[in-house]
Amino acid sequence: MKKPGFDTKAVHGDVLKEDIHKAIRYPIYAGVAFHFESAEDIEDAFAFRKPAHAYSRVTNPTVEAFERKMNGLEDGRAAVATASGMAAISNVFFNLLKQGENIVSANSLFGNTYSFFKKTLKNFGIETRFVDIDDLDQVREAINGKTRALFLETISNPKMNVPDITKIVEIAREKREARDHGIAVIVDGTVTTPYLFKGKEFGVDLVIHSSTKLISGGATSIGGVIVDLGNCEWSGFPSLEDYKKLGELSFLARLRKEVYRDLGACMAPQIAFLQSLGLETLSLRVEKACKNTLELAGYLARHDKVIRVNYPGLPDSPFHALAKKQFNNRFGGVLTFELPDKQTSFTFLNHLKIIRRASNLGDNTTLIIHPASTLFQEYTMEEKENMDVSEGLIRLSVGIEDVEDLMEDIEQALHKI
Amino acid sequence: MRLTINGKEETVSDVVNISDLLKIRGIETPEMVSVELNSEILNRVDFETTQLKENDQIELLFFMGGGQTRG
Repeated sequence: MKKPGFDTKAVHGDVLKEDIHKAIRYPIYAGVAFHFESAEDIEDAFAFRKPAHAYSRVTNPTVEAFERKMNGLEDGRAAVATASGMAAISNVFFNLLKQGENIVSANSLFGNTYSFFKKTLKNFGIETRFVDIDDLDQVREAINGKTRALFLETISNPKMNVPDITKIVEIAREKREARDHGIAVIVDGTVTTPYLFKGKEFGVDLVIHSSTKLISGGATSIGGVIVDLGNCEWSGFPSLEDYKKLGELSFLARLRKEVYRDLGACMAPQIAFLQSLGLETLSLRVEKACKNTLELAGYLARHDKVIRVNYPGLPDSPFHALAKKQFNNRFGGVLTFELPDKQTSFTFLNHLKIIRRASNLGDNTTLIIHPASTLFQEYTMEEKENMDVSEGLIRLSVGIEDVEDLMEDIEQALHKI
Repeated sequence: MRLTINGKEETVSDVVNISDLLKIRGIETPEMVSVELNSEILNRVDFETTQLKENDQIELLFFMGGGQTRG
């Protein structure tokens, strides 16, 4: 029998054990603790010699069912579900880096990820070297003997640039071989999901998702996922030294046994239930959102009140050919566009009737935000300029409504400026 | 054949290699088990070909939660 397709895996998952009552939908195991037949059994579980759930902060059957579903869709080694996308990011970097080491990261990033690198990690003695990820020489030059990770988003937020992931992976491999130390390629795939981007096929080592967005079923709940894609043997990472003898499982072993357990930012079983349900309709929603976004991008690009539209789906985007190849001939559900200035942008936003003003993306509802005054409010003008966050920039996360209604709403609001 | 598995002496039959051992113990996620044979960690690709012998000491470590009850 051939391997099941994406949607079959998204619906059926890879459940280890059928529910005791044979419930079709895997139930919510809402409890905290699990009984053991003997003191020896619980000792073995704590020593990881027995595969059993002991305490829901570390593992839980409902969360595990979601993790196995996600891992199946990524075709990875294993997945770990977290309380949020930011929890996934913080778990990964606390697991992989030691004081004195560094990360080379794309400079165009989700604002909170940028803050985590620039402020939080810096206080732990971990440096982040921000680069223009499209400038491969700059990427190469930023890497030194202390670099342990190359980090990027599949489609940068809010620039909407598309990095050439094959080339980034090649650079990491060259450097890994030349210097004989570990550098992992870590990709935030939130806006593409495994439906559009298969990190494993591109040689990516870890993929991170804010499952809050598309995966949750359209912003139903906060969650995150880390997937070890099985492309890295995890040698040459000093932070994993104590787990070295476990070889290819050393990243996951330290994560589960120490960092994830100790940080405590686990996914709750109720959330895992919602997110598993969300995965079942992922491809249907992503298809519709991509189709709507492509239509809206074309309409906005032709509009005389709009200065510029950033969307890799537009044929004249410098990233069009690359995105087409990398993302399965689709271009995602987020676009950004520019109006002349902040006041014009605010007037436009305030006149929208269907599109909602909100700080999120990947919802079934179309959402809009002015990044400079919200997500990037805390940064200096210079930092905003470096990230191409101008005062007239607007981010639109397109939902699954009827595109004609969205277009009409935008048209009437543009008339007001 | 007598083996020591996770510190406990056990007698097993119909077991030739590591993969057989994981199978008879009902381990449903062999890809997530780390196997130590006589203090040496085994590569996953060698599970099929690593022959077991009398009095071998085996440590099985699981990192991805539960799901099994017979391990």
